[in-house]
Amino acid sequence: MLRFITRRLLITIPTILVVITVTWVLIRLAPGNFYSGEKRLPPAIEKNIREKYGLDKPWYEQYAKTMGGILRWDFGTSLKYEGQSVNAIIARSLPVSATIGILAYLLALGVGITAGSIAALKQNSKWDYASMALAMLGISVPNFVLGPILVLIFSLTLYWVPPSRWAGFPSRNIILPVLTLSAIYMAYIARLTRAGMLEVLRSDYIRTARSKGLSERAVVMRHALRGGLLPVVSYTGPALAFLLTGTVVVERIFALPGLGNYFIQASLNRDEPLIIGIVAFIAIALLVMNLLVDIAYAYLDPRIRY
Amino acid sequence: MMEEDKQTSHSRADSAYVESSAIRGRRDDLIHTSPELAIAETDVRLAERGEMVSGSSLWRDAWRRLLKNRLSVFGMIAVALVTLASLLGPFIIRKATGYTPDYIPTDAALLKSFPPFTSPNGTFSWTHPMGTDNQGRDLLARVLQGGQISLMVGIISTLVSLIIGVSYGAIAGYLGGRVDNALMRLVDVLYSLPYVIIIIVLLSMFRSQTARGQLVLLFVALGSVSWLTMARIVRGQVLSLKNQEFVLAARATGVSTPRIIFRHIVPNTLGPVVVYATLTIPTVMLTEAFLSFLGFGVQPPLASWGSLATDGIQNIAIFPWQLIFPGVTMALTLFSLNFLGDGLRDALDPQMRKF
Amino acid sequence: MVTVPTPRERTALVAIIMLVAATSSCQVAAKNEEFFGKTTPPTRNVLRYINGDEPETLDPPISSGQPEARIFIALYEGLVEYDPKTLAPVPAIAESWGVNNDSSEYVFHLRHNARWSNGDPIVAEDFVYSFRRGLSPELASRNAYLAYYIKYGQAYNEGAVFVRNPQTGEFLLEKDFAHSDQEVPESLSQKPLSSGEAEYKGSDSAPNTSFHQFMHSPARLTLPASEKARKKLIDADAKLQAAVRDKEFVPVRAEDVGIEAVDDYTVRISLSQPAPYFSGLLAHQLFRAVPRKVIEKYGEHWTEPAHIVTSGAFKVKAWRPYSELVVERNPFYWDFANVRLEEIHFYTTQDNPTAMNLYKVGEADAVLNHTVPNPWLDVVRSKKDYMDGAEAAIVYVLINVTRPPMNDIRVRRAFNMAIDKVTYSQSRRITKPLSAFTPEGIFPGYPQPKGDPFNPEQARKLLGEAGFPVMQRADGSYECAKFPVDQVEYVFNTQSSNRTMAEFFQAQWKQNLGITVPLRSMEFRTFLNVRAKLEYKGFALGIWGADYMDPFTFLNLFSTPTGDNGSGWWDQRYSEMLDAANRTLDKQKRYELMARAEKFLLDAQPVIPIETSATNWVKKPYVKGMYPNAGSLFPWKFVYIERDPAKWDYGVPAMAD
Repeated sequence: MLRFITRRLLITIPTILVVITVTWVLIRLAPGNFYSGEKRLPPAIEKNIREKYGLDKPWYEQYAKTMGGILRWDFGTSLKYEGQSVNAIIARSLPVSATIGILAYLLALGVGITAGSIAALKQNSKWDYASMALAMLGISVPNFVLGPILVLIFSLTLYWVPPSRWAGFPSRNIILPVLTLSAIYMAYIARLTRAGMLEVLRSDYIRTARSKGLSERAVVMRHALRGGLLPVVSYTGPALAFLLTGTVVVERIFALPGLGNYFIQASLNRDEPLIIGIVAFIAIALLVMNLLVDIAYAYLDPRIRY
Repeated sequence: MMEEDKQTSHSRADSAYVESSAIRGRRDDLIHTSPELAIAETDVRLAERGEMVSGSSLWRDAWRRLLKNRLSVFGMIAVALVTLASLLGPFIIRKATGYTPDYIPTDAALLKSFPPFTSPNGTFSWTHPMGTDNQGRDLLARVLQGGQISLMVGIISTLVSLIIGVSYGAIAGYLGGRVDNALMRLVDVLYSLPYVIIIIVLLSMFRSQTARGQLVLLFVALGSVSWLTMARIVRGQVLSLKNQEFVLAARATGVSTPRIIFRHIVPNTLGPVVVYATLTIPTVMLTEAFLSFLGFGVQPPLASWGSLATDGIQNIAIFPWQLIFPGVTMALTLFSLNFLGDGLRDALDPQMRKF
Repeated sequence: MVTVPTPRERTALVAIIMLVAATSSCQVAAKNEEFFGKTTPPTRNVLRYINGDEPETLDPPISSGQPEARIFIALYEGLVEYDPKTLAPVPAIAESWGVNNDSSEYVFHLRHNARWSNGDPIVAEDFVYSFRRGLSPELASRNAYLAYYIKYGQAYNEGAVFVRNPQTGEFLLEKDFAHSDQEVPESLSQKPLSSGEAEYKGSDSAPNTSFHQFMHSPARLTLPASEKARKKLIDADAKLQAAVRDKEFVPVRAEDVGIEAVDDYTVRISLSQPAPYFSGLLAHQLFRAVPRKVIEKYGEHWTEPAHIVTSGAFKVKAWRPYSELVVERNPFYWDFANVRLEEIHFYTTQDNPTAMNLYKVGEADAVLNHTVPNPWLDVVRSKKDYMDGAEAAIVYVLINVTRPPMNDIRVRRAFNMAIDKVTYSQSRRITKPLSAFTPEGIFPGYPQPKGDPFNPEQARKLLGEAGFPVMQRADGSYECAKFPVDQVEYVFNTQSSNRTMAEFFQAQWKQNLGITVPLRSMEFRTFLNVRAKLEYKGFALGIWGADYMDPFTFLNLFSTPTGDNGSGWWDQRYSEMLDAANRTLDKQKRYELMARAEKFLLDAQPVIPIETSATNWVKKPYVKGMYPNAGSLFPWKFVYIERDPAKWDYGVPAMAD
């Protein structure tokens, strides 16, 4: 196991550096710069700005400077936001995205696994149809359609919750964003759990457990659930990737100051240090999470050995 | 068995389910297997079985199974209906009522958003079954035209990713060894690139002169994102197929490598490829809608469901139908495509069934 | 034979029914309320204002954005402040001021009790420091050009050099090398003091100093900082070449710029030419006081909440980036007794519907300008919390005159006359159609010229004359086969209101000229880049809001000699007309000269004027002291929350004093 982890880590680091380099190159190739205003700047002022931000040096110097900074875990200062270091921005926005993301995923797990399990246990009942129907919808309705509809009903008409903005945790502001973000995962997890459970419930070892006289509850909780959870666990990997784009949409709809929102703004602003900082951070996070998922997988299914 | 095959599949979640069933699997040597391999194995088995039963080929079997599955039939019909409506709808509407999707009324009193089935003075009227958008354009015509674009983007982008992915995966799988290693490593790296920024930069770098040019850019951009999993699937398939007898025979008779890959092996991988392609189309359509949400999707005067829905979000507090109609239409279509894809998968490999 | 539906099929059926049912939620009853949304005043005297984009900095001279400008007004104060209704300059840190007889020199008398938020007194030296800092090349302020009226301000900011004789110490003078044929009258601020001309009426002036003498000497010649540019200029002028031989180049320093602290409470500003509107300019954030000691101590981190010190009615309480900036009353502010708001929360939002939704639900008390989306106007305009007023901003279409076919003036005029701006304004509901390049009805007494009206017949005729005849088809529509459609496009930045506008123009040109101009939208920064570098073919969107209340702020856009004003058009005669106007002392005569320059511009048709903007925002009726003035700038010290519903604003508050 340890060998596996080390090997994976050794692959991860060059991957991240490649990711950053490619991003850097692409940013440089794109037209536009971060200091444009409505009126064209007099050349002297533009020269001042370029000097100030080191944009007049040759490209390899700038690249070396960026990479050097990254290896020291210093992503520099944002170009668009004066005086704010990228590390500080990430540190500030990460809790927002993480809170929404984790809550959404926990909600999805809770509701999805419960609904999926019950659907599997009460196969073909009304409960089964209803929850699987909702799951179908959850997969087909895009999150930027679902979100505004929820806002229309619960905020703009009923005035129950605010329609947007971040007000810390806990607050009424997180309710709609978390719901919107978790919808698609709830759907997938419910389907996966149901399918997994059904598969498992038909298998031999469950029959053995039942014939041993175990209560239904014990059968479910101790044996069936574990097997049924395997697909859910392995789904977590790709789910995290989706979570990024889902978070971007939700953060934009609900005006949340999270990583996704900063990311888009930075791209639109050509704010190179911020883009690279967030890209590097997300790349690392994704790779680490995938590694953890694989480990969890191995733990859950003793037949798999690395 | 190479390390990479043990990695969790990054394709759609349902493939993850496939992996788990394969692992729990029927045969011992399927443990430590990748989902792609499972598909490949079953596919090959089916192919062999098909050859033994006289006359009936894999495809005809699959088609029969598909037809028996009423839901996927429904999916197929729904998709066909939507496609037909998108292609012919605007034309028919123009003949019937004179409204084209981009006709902006010149009368200032009509330059507003009317609710469905309402006329300017508030009474019931058949002219605008879905209402109008902010500039008085008939929403039904726009939604149908949006369908043209959305479906076109979905299908063509999927084709692009198919072509790239199949070629890449087949070459990597067949050549094996270090080449395969390197190529798959590249795939891993590309996977970790946040594609959002790539697309944003791509779309702004190669500026298109027209809305149609922008479409082509989108095809390329979206296609280049989804080919990765296709490549993985095909590679897994090819890995198992390349040591089959028919390949050895072809090599022995001196058939050139490219011919072997593309004329002999690839056709046998088409089963999972078709399934995955059908499931890719809705994903791509959702991605295009996401890009439209950020402003990088199709440009006016063309509109897709995604851009229509995005426009509609702006006014949800006052004119909710502008979002709901494109949104529901899109959801129904994605819904049907998902059914179709599920059905295809069941048809091509009954062992992968969910119920 | 229809069999019993399988479970999966039943599931699907249920899902579809749910989807279709969702469409019935289209019926949203329009509530018949007086105001748009909830109107419960907050329990504390706190204003929650939707400010728009996230401010990029709290350092006033650096940013030129609107959201930042509103924050700077709360945090920093200048010599003068905006009047909340008219935006005319009212006393702030300066309690009075005097101007010389040709508006080329100003003297400000500061009050003695102005203090920073840390208690230190604000003195004249603080303004000298702030102005110099704003102009410093290292700071690279995007607003620096506003201070170019100050003598040697531009030279300092551009890093230019004087030319000095090392033996005699004498500098070369500008007037000896002037190129213009006209006789340029010297402004009073530059005439030697002993000339005997009365400079100020009465006793407004301040004591004489050696620096003042320096200001009252003829302007020194300045040359560009870079050797290459200098060499180019020198080589082109034989007289200059001879003169600079054996001379040395001395960089223009901050100390040379025409601002002086005569004593602790008197500031004198010398301009290089008369500028009657200059006192109104001084309320801009570039000229507001920033704390020298704090900046020198913390460098670029001085604006962090832990370090920042401000000069205005409010100080920073907390900053949650991308969420809100919270400011609270500054107890050391000289007018603290009259500031009623305890706190202001500046909320950051990215788009208008978000802002409007927050406002409706009662989570915000007022929204920034141009936030009510146009399609909502029918519903919102009838509510009593809608703020409608004339605005000093114009919308126009720039034409890239450097490329055919748009380099032909007939073609440009044709496209201008083919757009029905009256109908467009009607559809926009609140704006006014515009045929000139200054906003209509904003500058009282300004004789605004008129451009060509809507005339599609004439437009087609002109196109025909230019070689692109327009034919009429049997069904009445037009076509113009010869016109090179692939040589034109209309570019704009992605935003739904811009798209609507673009589609309208496209439809008009198609309907009236038979030409379908392709549209191209792009992200904002890309768009600015493309437009500035003239990388577009044909047409580009243009929007300009006034930097100060004078028509010159608009006409100035085309006076830059290198022609990088987004259209490629420039004419020496136009710049000269503007210069002459600015040198005129009589206000009305000056207006007439500017109007003549504007007519010259309109005749050359490098732009297609579209409309004069109107303000377009909402505020809760209990928010008082905020007025829909022409620049949408709000001195927050005058704003307060009114709890007695009888005293609320039912409609636009009266703007006439």
